[in-house]
Amino acid sequence: MHELIEKLIARLPLDFRVLYRQFLLRVIDLESLSIQADVTGYLGQFAGVLIMLSLVHSTVAYLGYTFIPEPAARFAFCLHMEHYLIATTMLVIGLITVISWDATFPDRRDVMVLSPLPIAPRTILAAKVTASAAVLGLGLVTLNVASGVVIPLLMGAQPGPAWGFFQALPAWWFTIVAASAFLYGSVLTIQGFTSLLLPRSHFLRLSAILQLAAFGLFLGVYFVQPSLTDPAAMADPQNHWILASSPSYWFFALFNQLNGSLPAQFSWIAARAWIGLGLALTGAASSLVLCYIHTMKKTVEEPDLVPGPVGPHLLPPLGNSLQTAVALFSVRSLTRSRQHRVAFAFYLAFVFGLAFSLFRSELALPASSLVSMDLVISTFLMMFFAVAGLGSVFSLPISLTANWVLRTTQIRPSEKYVAATRRTLLLLAVLPTWLLAAALSLRFGPFPNAAGHLAVLALVGCNAVELCLVGFYKVPFTCSYLPGKANVQVIFWGFLVVMLAVVIPCAEFELSALHQPLRFFMMLFSLSAARTALWAQNQRRAKSAVLHFEELPDEIITTLGLSA
Amino acid sequence: MLELRNVSKRFSGIPAVDDVTFSARPGEVTGYLGPNGSGKSTTMKMITGLIEMSGGHIFFEGKSIQDDLIAYKRRMGYVPEEPYLYTHLSGTEYLVMVAQLRDLPGRQSAERIDAMLRLFSLHNDRHASISGYSKGMRQKVLLIAALMHNPQLILLDEPFSGLDVASSLVLRSLIQELASRGKVVLFSSHELDTVERICSRVVILHRGKLVADDSIERLRSLMELSTLEKIFSQLAIEQDPESTARQIAEIIYA
Repeated sequence: MHELIEKLIARLPLDFRVLYRQFLLRVIDLESLSIQADVTGYLGQFAGVLIMLSLVHSTVAYLGYTFIPEPAARFAFCLHMEHYLIATTMLVIGLITVISWDATFPDRRDVMVLSPLPIAPRTILAAKVTASAAVLGLGLVTLNVASGVVIPLLMGAQPGPAWGFFQALPAWWFTIVAASAFLYGSVLTIQGFTSLLLPRSHFLRLSAILQLAAFGLFLGVYFVQPSLTDPAAMADPQNHWILASSPSYWFFALFNQLNGSLPAQFSWIAARAWIGLGLALTGAASSLVLCYIHTMKKTVEEPDLVPGPVGPHLLPPLGNSLQTAVALFSVRSLTRSRQHRVAFAFYLAFVFGLAFSLFRSELALPASSLVSMDLVISTFLMMFFAVAGLGSVFSLPISLTANWVLRTTQIRPSEKYVAATRRTLLLLAVLPTWLLAAALSLRFGPFPNAAGHLAVLALVGCNAVELCLVGFYKVPFTCSYLPGKANVQVIFWGFLVVMLAVVIPCAEFELSALHQPLRFFMMLFSLSAARTALWAQNQRRAKSAVLHFEELPDEIITTLGLSA
Repeated sequence: MLELRNVSKRFSGIPAVDDVTFSARPGEVTGYLGPNGSGKSTTMKMITGLIEMSGGHIFFEGKSIQDDLIAYKRRMGYVPEEPYLYTHLSGTEYLVMVAQLRDLPGRQSAERIDAMLRLFSLHNDRHASISGYSKGMRQKVLLIAALMHNPQLILLDEPFSGLDVASSLVLRSLIQELASRGKVVLFSSHELDTVERICSRVVILHRGKLVADDSIERLRSLMELSTLEKIFSQLAIEQDPESTARQIAEIIYA
């Protein structure tokens, strides 16, 4: 089999294979990590996270189905799981699309490097589309590797023909492939036509905004849209607009149509999926072809120098001059570098996901509900994800070759740089998350309890910042990074498990303390003391530390075991 | 005065700079010459503190630079060989950041940056991203960043790289002007004509070793050669340029 695949690959044109490999690297975008990045290992870790998710989903689906005795309730549960998994697949594919933003279109580098070479634009187009499809395909297959069998099995077990599973299995896989193609095609269509209609400089600016808007939209829809898989809820005229405007329901209906389980009255929803898929694929194909005909030429003709945006260029000071320099450098790196924006967006996905789900549950509550476990746990997790996310993005360098300027201008001791990084974390992670939490807490009462929780949250944020700074003797975005150290799968699940193990008891403790003033002030005092101790420890160590601009691998000592 | 005493640098045991001793005096422009790979940029990086020496000492105004590296960095301006900059920033943003890192007063540095951007003809493009700047424009940003804090020691590694004729003439006069005002200027370049015009003395390096350290006038009379190019060819070039060019052409036509 392996030989057959290799023979088939060898039959592809050499220029296509070379470009495919290059573009695959660019879809994953590991340039900022290391030139010798292990792409296979990185993809393996990414696939591992999704396979784990798929196993969790299928276990929940199977156990849920087994423990429900009523056939009607079982069927309703199956429908709910179907929609949940289609929506989750669309979210993951949407996030991959956001991460690989612009990767399918020719950029200036492609044009300048590849145009003088004897390579046809169609080869570049084919290599780019194949590279993007490979990453999307990997995400799609691994996320459904277990649930893509379990759901058809459960649907096949419903009353109906004996071959139910064999009808449900291809229907499921066709549906998720179609849903992913719809999402990816829609994004390509919007990007392609925007790039064709706008001057390149305007397009580049709008593209960054569109990327973040798409990110917010995918998350917002996933977390805010209600569950309407019950036929009675679907038939309610009040919900008509949700079903008509939500693509996850279109493809949910499409699956049931292909599976033969869709009532005729809902065929119009499935029809939307077909129409949407057709429009997205046509739009994507035509915009891609037009882009490769027009944009490559347009890119060469565009002037090199693009005037800066109109507006204030000198921002107010954010502390002393070093703190201002580090904070502004961080803001600019985060907002202008696609790699860093997307890496941070991965963590923000959790922050906003928690915020959105809390917001949705809040809407169901009467005004001035009591401060709840949901609020406390969600806001704690939001704070941890924001701080840990920004801290980890700080470790990704933006331009190692330009770091000489920081070395030659280091006229202050290291602890001042650590203090500047602390301020940046407080300004860019703790403050916005705290404000978001404060806005979400408005509906909770009584006011002293809500205010008390916000005070605790602020101290928790400060402690998280100090923990993040332990051993962090770097200027954000300037130190080289050894990708082998980032075991995404282990870190992700490890962080989640540890956080839940810590956060749940802490939240329970805080809720009880909110009603006992003495206990509450003791808690505030303990958090303040912990923060002060961590701060003092970090400052003390930073005094004797040297700023790192290169992360070096740990020294490995191999024992030969020659002694008797 | 900048003084290097027996400075050496070894990479994995291989000497890149070997026992180099010379000095650069205030009021003079000292040319630092050598063919590719001779160790010029390595020496420059040791003088800036970017890399550590394997041996020897560097003194500035009589004090070892390692004794108080921070105070030394305050008084040094450096233009590196390659115009590596944070290209996601605009010209102004980059320069303001450097001023903040150097702890220069906000208003004073803003005025200086603005005036220097005008004089270097960069003012119209000051808010554009550096990623769009030409090599010459990036070089001008580097020059402004190196000079805006009025350093006493100016280290210039190929400062004319990518500059247009007008800017090169301005820079040439500027280097002489700064030297005449008492600055210590160490200037490394491959452009021998320029070196001959603006440097009072030259230091020539070959394979990491010092092969000449004297005024251009004295070298001319000692070696009985009319130009710096001829002196340099005799001391540091091993190949016959015409023969090498002929061999390359033969490979192309083979």
